[in-house]
Amino acid sequence: MAVVSSSSSFLSSLALNLPSSALSSHPRIRFSSTLFSLFPSSSPSSLSSSLSISSSFLFYPVSCRRPSVSSSFSVKASAEKKKVLIVNTNSGGHAVIGFYFAKELLSSGHDVTILTVGDESSNKMKKPPFSRFSEIVSAGGRTVWGDPSEVGKVVGGAAFDVVLDNNGKDLDTVRPVADWAKSTGVKQFLYISSAGIYKPTDEPPHVEGDVVKADASHVAVEKYIAEVFTNWAIFRPQYMIGSGNNKDCEEWFFDRIVRDRPVPIPGSGMQLTNIAHVRDLSSMLTLAVENPAASSGNIFNCVSDRAVTLDGMAKLCAQATGRPVKIVHYDPKAVGIDAKKAFPFRNMHFYAEPRAAKDILGWKCTTNLPEDLKERFDEYIKIGRDKKPMQFELDDKILDSLKVAVAV
Amino acid sequence: MARLVVVQQKQPSFSLLPSSLSDFNGVRLSNSSIQFSKRKEWQAKGAFQVKASSAKKILIMGGTRFIGVFLSRLLVKEGHQVTLFTRGKTPITQQLPGESDQDYADFSSKILHLKGDRKDFEFVKTSLAAEGFDVVYDINGREADEVEPILDGLPKLEQYIYCSSAGVYLKSDLLPHFETDAVDPKSRHKGKLETESLLDSRGVNWTSIRPVYIYGPLNYNPVEEWFFHRLKAGRPVPIPNSGVQITQLGHVKDLARAFVQVLGNAKASKQVYNISGEKYVTFDGLARACAKAAGFPEPEIVHYNPKEFDFGKKKAFPFRDQHFFASVEKAKTELGWKPEFDLIEGLADSYNLDFGRGTYRKAADFSTDDMILNKSLVLQS
Repeated sequence: MAVVSSSSSFLSSLALNLPSSALSSHPRIRFSSTLFSLFPSSSPSSLSSSLSISSSFLFYPVSCRRPSVSSSFSVKASAEKKKVLIVNTNSGGHAVIGFYFAKELLSSGHDVTILTVGDESSNKMKKPPFSRFSEIVSAGGRTVWGDPSEVGKVVGGAAFDVVLDNNGKDLDTVRPVADWAKSTGVKQFLYISSAGIYKPTDEPPHVEGDVVKADASHVAVEKYIAEVFTNWAIFRPQYMIGSGNNKDCEEWFFDRIVRDRPVPIPGSGMQLTNIAHVRDLSSMLTLAVENPAASSGNIFNCVSDRAVTLDGMAKLCAQATGRPVKIVHYDPKAVGIDAKKAFPFRNMHFYAEPRAAKDILGWKCTTNLPEDLKERFDEYIKIGRDKKPMQFELDDKILDSLKVAVAV
Repeated sequence: MARLVVVQQKQPSFSLLPSSLSDFNGVRLSNSSIQFSKRKEWQAKGAFQVKASSAKKILIMGGTRFIGVFLSRLLVKEGHQVTLFTRGKTPITQQLPGESDQDYADFSSKILHLKGDRKDFEFVKTSLAAEGFDVVYDINGREADEVEPILDGLPKLEQYIYCSSAGVYLKSDLLPHFETDAVDPKSRHKGKLETESLLDSRGVNWTSIRPVYIYGPLNYNPVEEWFFHRLKAGRPVPIPNSGVQITQLGHVKDLARAFVQVLGNAKASKQVYNISGEKYVTFDGLARACAKAAGFPEPEIVHYNPKEFDFGKKKAFPFRDQHFFASVEKAKTELGWKPEFDLIEGLADSYNLDFGRGTYRKAADFSTDDMILNKSLVLQS
């Protein structure tokens, strides 16, 4: 009887406090991985052999399924100390992720080695976050430099429980790291991919499981990792702010606002983007390390839970400086410039939401742009960047074509 | 659309026809005896095997136009006794497109009607007190003062479930709207906000649902209908400004299910829930989605600057010209609710059951379109 079944399912879902969609929305969850947390971990090798035994699907009764997420979220953080290797890029927006992640793991009591690509003596190391690597060392972490394709040699034959590749954008670069990790019995492989691989859509946001661009190089990496490792997790970030960032984000706006220059924004300014404080990316990664069973086999959008429009970002940056802002919109094609060079964010809706992290890891977003930008601006002033002489060639070209006056 | 009388004649097995119960105006004694015997008969029929303890006596304020049409059916199917409080201007029941004769007959034989004007506060209080209801679904309430007589008449009310609106949120550069976000005390929907505050201050067990844009068959707000008219006429679709503004549609059937899921749910006590689709959509994207769902070719979209026109009192576009969307994660996490319709499926459902059958609420009016299109023609020449 339709009536009986509907009311009994209603009552039973109340009793078990389970969201009915908990599993159907995440079909890739592998029950076998829950075994890992039940085995006392002695040495990596003994666990790796048990890995192969338990890789087949096992079914657990309903009461053992992951609980619903609420304030009483009960995914247990593993008290186990992990040996974590971070393979970190030596430049770009993602560099700062490894820095925060290393420090958070260290303060949680884990063992951390961070392998930065290239040479310690390279000029790139003079920029943040690398210029602050002493903070990792003084917290008990190890910093090494080298070629990721020789990772085993670079880490001096050390063994790890967890590896995060926060470097490679293509399979050629990540494969040697993944293969080495597999062969040395690394239990959990994490990869920083990119939310940029999602196919543009009429229906934002980008949600885990949405179609990705087949030709994006990260896609081949993601596929390979999922094939090679039993316990893997993939993180797709967008943009981030935070002290120690290697790439300009909010600074681009501050540079113009403090100099009373108009802020040129391509298109309507209504495009959505996602800007997270890097501490949130770090906390998501840390949750994955400390909850390997829950995180295994999942993709996580590594972003904040709010979108901001391009105009909105300009306004929030202005508010953080306590100064007014003049926003000017332009059509890059009409002006004849490459928007990628003229503006730090994509000229289109680019907005992913961190639904898997909230649902599966109980992750909470702490990014508060109005507050965080104030802090960023304080540092901006402290380092004297407001006084730094700057050229705004592309801006001038844009403003010229629009015949907008610039304060002298 | 007035099929009520016809249906009743088909139901001789019920000795008490709904229409004889519909006039509760001040006739207290006979009402309560009719209620009582009807309830006994209903249980004796054995048609439902719902545990008596979970069956509620439910009052829906409204319920004959859109949300309530679907909600009342779900509640009746669950075995509750459902009364609709309306002025009776719209037929109490109408057969839904796609609804079987059997299902419709079953529903209309069980649904009850309390005829009255909810603005007549004294009548509301006395008639409700006379009847006694366990739960009130307030689907058409707009102002806080409308709620007081209901609460006064039902001191033992178990739950007051209110249809509010995401329109109460203060406009923000940071989206989506979460239930904890700031609200706008000056918005067009401030009556909804005041109602929520009143409910909270009265200490009643309340739940408030905030939908965004609702769509689905029988929609009286020309949301999808607006696009369908243009697609059917083979006309370009005029969209203000860039067309990248993001909105959010929620299917009425998913909304009705959410309303059912908060019933008797302790987690929902004194909670607000955004209810809408899981994905948002751009204005341009919505035009394309309507075409895809209804089987029309991809439309020509014409963008225009609304500031360049004076449309008078007419609305040139059915959505507010801004980003407007809300997160439904709280409902998904706490209630285990999940929308069943994605946008294309939902629009197809609406089209196949309503517009595509030749029914709609508002006739096509292309006067503002022509103003826009003529101007753009002039600019091109």
